[in-house]
Amino acid sequence: MKTPSVPLKKKKRSSVWVTLIPLYLFTLLFVAGPLVYMFVLSFQTRAEVWGVVNQFTLDNYKNILQPVYLNTFVESFKLAITSTLLICAIGYPFGYFMAKLSPAWKKRVMLLLMIPFWTSSLIRLYGWIIIFRANGTLDKLLMGLGLTDSPLKLLYTYPAVVVGMVYALLQFMILAVYSSAEKMDWSLVEAARDLGATPLKAFLTVTLKLTLPGLLSGVILTFIPSMGLFFIADILGGNKVVLVGSLIQDQLMKAHNWPFAAALSVVLMILTSLMISLYKRITHTTELEGIL
Amino acid sequence: MKKIIALALSAVLALGTLAGCSSAPASGSTAASGSTAASGAAAEAGELNLYTWEGMFPQEVLDAFTAETGIKVNYSSFDTDETMLAKLETAKGGDYDVVIADDYIIETAIAEGLVMELDKEKIPNFGNINPLYQGQFFDPENAYTVPYGSGVQTIVYNPDLVDIEIDSYADLWDASLESSVGITSNFRVMNGMALKMAGESYNTDDVAAIEAAGAKLLELAPNVRLIKDDNLQDDMISGEISAGVMYTSQVTLACMANPDLKVVYPSEGIGFGIMAQFIPVNAPHPDAAHAFIDYILRPEVSKQCFEYIGYYCTNQAADELISEEFRPFLTLPEGFTADNMEMIQNVSAEAMEAHTKVWTEFRTACGQ
Repeated sequence: MKTPSVPLKKKKRSSVWVTLIPLYLFTLLFVAGPLVYMFVLSFQTRAEVWGVVNQFTLDNYKNILQPVYLNTFVESFKLAITSTLLICAIGYPFGYFMAKLSPAWKKRVMLLLMIPFWTSSLIRLYGWIIIFRANGTLDKLLMGLGLTDSPLKLLYTYPAVVVGMVYALLQFMILAVYSSAEKMDWSLVEAARDLGATPLKAFLTVTLKLTLPGLLSGVILTFIPSMGLFFIADILGGNKVVLVGSLIQDQLMKAHNWPFAAALSVVLMILTSLMISLYKRITHTTELEGIL
Repeated sequence: MKKIIALALSAVLALGTLAGCSSAPASGSTAASGSTAASGAAAEAGELNLYTWEGMFPQEVLDAFTAETGIKVNYSSFDTDETMLAKLETAKGGDYDVVIADDYIIETAIAEGLVMELDKEKIPNFGNINPLYQGQFFDPENAYTVPYGSGVQTIVYNPDLVDIEIDSYADLWDASLESSVGITSNFRVMNGMALKMAGESYNTDDVAAIEAAGAKLLELAPNVRLIKDDNLQDDMISGEISAGVMYTSQVTLACMANPDLKVVYPSEGIGFGIMAQFIPVNAPHPDAAHAFIDYILRPEVSKQCFEYIGYYCTNQAADELISEEFRPFLTLPEGFTADNMEMIQNVSAEAMEAHTKVWTEFRTACGQ
């Protein structure tokens, strides 16, 4: 942390610092503290049965390089990319057209988007189980329409996991795109049209460019959480899609290998931080659209 | 508008994060007519902090205990044994008066010095315990624990959906069961199944044997539809899976819901586990804890408890009280003794690493 280069000449200034102290203390204690603890833990050795021995080792990181564990990172990326692409395809048009609604309808749609969050996301996931399970809602619908004649095995499959991910994260994309489309100056599109651009060209050259920050922050807001939302893969995928988060939980709760779990978490955090800095590079922004 | 979005988004983010870690240990305390601080219970013993999984006692039993002794029961719950041990360690063996957990974790808790030796003078009903469940590896002298329920790993299948006769673990590998088997997510149990098939012990420290078991397990992957610890019986009842490897309480629930299900004790060998009650070394109310343990050991109280939790009854005196409907599920089949069953115990760190590696490979293969 840097000390302010300007001398504190006014009393007012120092009182501002005093009010900030609790915030810094809180951050240090509850954000930085656990992170440092985890970082240190990742270099320690597991005890034979329970706990940790204070002995420096790099084995935990070497362990990650085993194909079976590297593969969980690949799986996590694969799932995150698949769901993010789908979320873009659904969320972008949604946010775009939402910004074109009348103010009254905007409010209504916003409310509808928020209402599901009044229920715990786990409960909503169990809702999907009821839809997907054998002879569940979807099976009955498909069989009633005569499209299938026996129950499909939909639950505990990869597509079920993807649906769960898209469902859980779609709102972030919609709101991010909406907020950048909402403040867009639509007269620019009109100008483009006046100058002879086709609607498609006007969209590609004007609208898309201006809403790109929203789209990209939506990507960040969906991609990063989807790296960590392993409980969706566990519940809807029947524990058969092994993501990094799920591996960390296994190491922590079942294998009693806390240092390895810590090393996995550190690597996961570094990877996600890289994603964010990449985002900043591309968009030249320091803030996420729709957040600040 | 932007502010609203920002607020909404952050609220959503916060909610999402919280939902992920869904431990809900809200203490379902049970205060009955609390004013009557009965004679036996001194002011110091007016409370009891019970710490175990959710749903381990019927509410009536806790209420009746409070009504009789005046001791208020504060029930808090954990979701895994590991959470319990970590908390108990932080509390230096304090905070809780009675803990119920699995055998292997109790062994560790005793080794860490977190468990109080029982004062058997205060537990006159100690003799009611079925000796079959005593003297096991985690407490060979029966100095620290009182068993509260036991279970074995069992195969259950639905004969309407399965074409073959299943009587061993090996039958689960049959090609006709493609994508229809459900298994628990405890890797010591599942890797142990493959070890048993090779004639090994659950608790072998031989890494090569564990890896060989892993290779065998990989061949099971195409048949596995679901890996899950909690409520696996629901998927059995709904027909999502047609065969499964489950714990005793799940078997009880599944068979009560669908009496046509077949229960198989695999011919390769039986794995079994015991849950037990213990008193942490710095328990704030040790007298209340002893009184509670003794109360639960009363035959008629035990009967209520075991019919509720659906595990094998560890109270010999309660066996004959258990109603006909539950009896087949709550008493061990003839001929099963601790000698021909094996308990899962802690193994070396090396063996544990081999287990996790094998298990991660297996789970990944199941998803392919």
